[in-house]
Amino acid sequence: MLKMPGWEMSIVWYFFLGGIAGGAYFTAAIADNVGSRRDQAVARVGYLLSLPLVAVCGVLLIADLGVPKRFMNMILHFKFWDPMSIGAWAVGIFGAFTFVSSVLSFTSSESMAQLRRRISLVGMLFGFFLAGYTGILLSNSAMPFWGDSRLMGALFLASGGSTGMAAVALIMFLTGRSVGEAWHKIEVADRYSMLVEMLVLALFLGLLGAAAQPITTGHFARLFWGGLVGAGLIVPLLLNLFGSRVRALGLVSAVLVLVGGFILRYVVVMSIQG
Amino acid sequence: MARTLAMFTDTSLCIGCRACQVACKQWNELGLEEPEWTGTYQNHAHFTDKTFRLVRFIEAPGAKPNGDLAWLLMSDVCKHCAQAGCLDACPTGAIYRTEYGTVNINQDVCNGCRYCVASCPFGVVSFNEQTGTAKKCTFCNDRIHNGLGPACAKACPTDSIQFGFRDELVAKANQRVEALKAMGFKDAQLYGADSNGFLGGLNAFFLLLAKPATYNLPENPQRPQRNVVVDSLFSIGSAILVGVGALLAFRERGKGGA
Repeated sequence: MLKMPGWEMSIVWYFFLGGIAGGAYFTAAIADNVGSRRDQAVARVGYLLSLPLVAVCGVLLIADLGVPKRFMNMILHFKFWDPMSIGAWAVGIFGAFTFVSSVLSFTSSESMAQLRRRISLVGMLFGFFLAGYTGILLSNSAMPFWGDSRLMGALFLASGGSTGMAAVALIMFLTGRSVGEAWHKIEVADRYSMLVEMLVLALFLGLLGAAAQPITTGHFARLFWGGLVGAGLIVPLLLNLFGSRVRALGLVSAVLVLVGGFILRYVVVMSIQG
Repeated sequence: MARTLAMFTDTSLCIGCRACQVACKQWNELGLEEPEWTGTYQNHAHFTDKTFRLVRFIEAPGAKPNGDLAWLLMSDVCKHCAQAGCLDACPTGAIYRTEYGTVNINQDVCNGCRYCVASCPFGVVSFNEQTGTAKKCTFCNDRIHNGLGPACAKACPTDSIQFGFRDELVAKANQRVEALKAMGFKDAQLYGADSNGFLGGLNAFFLLLAKPATYNLPENPQRPQRNVVVDSLFSIGSAILVGVGALLAFRERGKGGA
């Protein structure tokens, strides 16, 4: 009886990349504000990563509209209770923060760095929002499973944190910055995020009960249990915990977290529409 | 606001002629679609972007007063909910409530995000690939603003679909339920007539001869946006946990850094 919205791969990619953008930014903001001078490598990678990602998010969102040239209609209107409406605004505002923070990440003046840290404390809130609101958007619809899950936003947010941190770690590795204290700290932060994500995922499934069947049984079950829970959470957490001496294992862990984050969005979005 | 208008679909009077479905297609110039084999006379299986009125043909074992199989007919339509999920979901303001209480989609404003499709508890709103916009019954917005009833109600030969002021139709509907019960239709009931009931009442409400579930209607449909606050609080909790984790990882432990 119910009608599916036909949100498919571009929305899965948007949820995934938006989570990374938000997660990378708030991680950068925290590292920038409470970390040492050496942690500024993390902050700079986080800011510079979130900027292109949020730009891609905007393109994905606009291209997925039925009438893309009318995307501004969402900005001409505001509904404070409507995730789609606030979300459209937040993507735009967050984009502006990532731009300013990225530009300021190149400054060598301490007063400008101070300004960047202040700005990032506000931008961080939009980063958290972008990582989590997509789940709330799904959980406030009439669709089964989506509409039944009270923790979809919390789960997407934790996953945005873990994938954002994994993406930062991956880029640090690829650009030869995977040494020393900053690398160790991003690994530890990612470990905490994975633990939070596992906790939220367990509560998510527990609260849903039988309503979680679209992902826990049937066609998507193998991808969910094997791809997300196994390869995307348990394995990278073990690698992170016991392989911290070997940098290559940190790399594998980061890649697995990213793949798991994509699988999460994929099974959630596609399972009831497939 | 003008006095609320409504459509009352009395399924006990429906003969399954589909004049409503055809009149709707013609007046609204909805165009042709491939027929679908549903296993019954029903066509199409669901509402589409080109089918706003749909006569459902339902075979329900044991639903007749004497326990026999009942062949139930129901001309289904957008419910024009008093608390409309589609309207609350629409981020562009394209979906609006008219002065008569009906819910309409402004086709010049809709940008095709499809959140309304996911937010309709009845599977009514449909996406049109050609226009790139969401489509549904307009309650014949052009007709009611020119003193005419909706095309479906006008075409109905048995008055199964009645159009009028909501309060008058509800009174009439209640009398009709009593009459049917007296005739032995013990499950005769109204669906969506109560403005204190689910979704604040439906401006297109129904008289059913069996339980809503028999007609594939939800027993107690809810506003899809009712959990925004709770879900947001849980997300804030998650944000605090993740944020504190990052804080613990990055903070300087008395090393005098930064």
